Amino acid sequence: MATARPGWSRRAQYGLFFSFLAVMAGIIVGVILLTLSLVAPQQFERVRGAALDVTGPVAGALHEVTATASGIFTGAGNYWDAAGQNADLKRERAAMLQRMVEAKAIFQENQQLKATLQLRERERTTIAAGRIVGSSFNSPRRFAILSAGTSDGVRVGMPVRSPSGLVGRIVDAGTLASRVLLVSDRASIVPARLLRSGIPVIAQGRGDGTMDVRPLEVGRNPFKRGDIITTSGTGGLYPPLVPIARIVKLEDDGAVALPLADPAKTSFAIVEPPFEPAAVAVESAAPESEAP
Amino acid sequence: MVRAALGPPRGQIGRGPSRFAAYLPAATVVAASLLAALPIVSTNGWYPDFGYLVFISWRLLRADPWPPWWGAPLGFVNDLFTGYPVGFSIALWSATMLALDLVDRRTMWRDYWIEWVLAAVLIAIDEWLQWRVAKVVDAAPPITKMIPALVISICLFPAFAWIVSRIDAWRLGR
Repeated sequence: MATARPGWSRRAQYGLFFSFLAVMAGIIVGVILLTLSLVAPQQFERVRGAALDVTGPVAGALHEVTATASGIFTGAGNYWDAAGQNADLKRERAAMLQRMVEAKAIFQENQQLKATLQLRERERTTIAAGRIVGSSFNSPRRFAILSAGTSDGVRVGMPVRSPSGLVGRIVDAGTLASRVLLVSDRASIVPARLLRSGIPVIAQGRGDGTMDVRPLEVGRNPFKRGDIITTSGTGGLYPPLVPIARIVKLEDDGAVALPLADPAKTSFAIVEPPFEPAAVAVESAAPESEAP
Repeated sequence: MVRAALGPPRGQIGRGPSRFAAYLPAATVVAASLLAALPIVSTNGWYPDFGYLVFISWRLLRADPWPPWWGAPLGFVNDLFTGYPVGFSIALWSATMLALDLVDRRTMWRDYWIEWVLAAVLIAIDEWLQWRVAKVVDAAPPITKMIPALVISICLFPAFAWIVSRIDAWRLGR
């Protein structure tokens, strides 16, 4: 296009030249749009939502197929060594029953203590439940597609969790599906604390399925392998005491943790409203720099 | 074309290009972009950029699979379905069309190895730009984390090139 001379035909020459101009225009438009979507991501909310509505249901339908197929295989696998598994499960169940009774007692005590302190118990509502049906494939960013959208009441910024732990938060919402920024994304920073000691920590994604955990107070490394970290509720977005990750590797000034809610295995995830909407509103009044 | 002529004549009288031959390449690129809807949850992002791989496979196979300016709309579709920041693939794919035109002018001959090297360079640029864009919003992992994805994409390119060449032969009725 750029330098070719196709011959003496004016028409062919102009055709080539205009196609060159068109491609240049494409590049310029692309760069402008890219800048816009990095600076002001909400510009493209609607069109990205529409695209999600196309892919979400497709992924959801395909998900059923793969889930059924893998279910058949694991189902067959369960018959293997069934007696051994049965014995294990019985032993586990006995232990769990004991723990459950203890937990119930603690819960009651907790209720009484809260009553004496007159702490207002916040009602935890669920906005929507959906399946995690897909994810970003090739990108340094970690997103997942959730099969619940604005028609279910999902809005951008809401936290997403699964039974096993925190999944992330909504960054794009379509009518039928939405995109979740996973906790393992580099841009996801979750205020957290160690379950064992209550030490406040910061959990940031590493972009490869794991998270970096650092204590807020500089000093001795408080982590041990196997420690569970949970949300602390600081910041007002995530509800407190949602398990996030398990420490798998210690580092000099922190640790590497593996999210408990593995999005590849999580089938259902629920969307909750921001924990303290007032606090989040104040935060988001300041310009947000995160782009999807 | 030349490669097909090397094969034995297959006596298919009356076979011509398929009806949508002009639009089939672009359609396959969109289909590849739509692979992002596969119900696979990747925690490390090592999957290739399917849309881009098919895009450069077509462009390396032929100089005119689509008018040059189609790079922009095709990139837009890819951006929407893969969740890249809008504009990323628009700019990259348009620039790819331009760059490969210049390369076509410079290279004296082409073979599989040169195509593979070209594709590797383009894929590396793609991965690096993605990393750079993620860095702008403070979400970039260390760049060494991008190497597995890059190697996998480069190794997969011949497979995509082969599939595209088969589709090309089919669409032209050869």
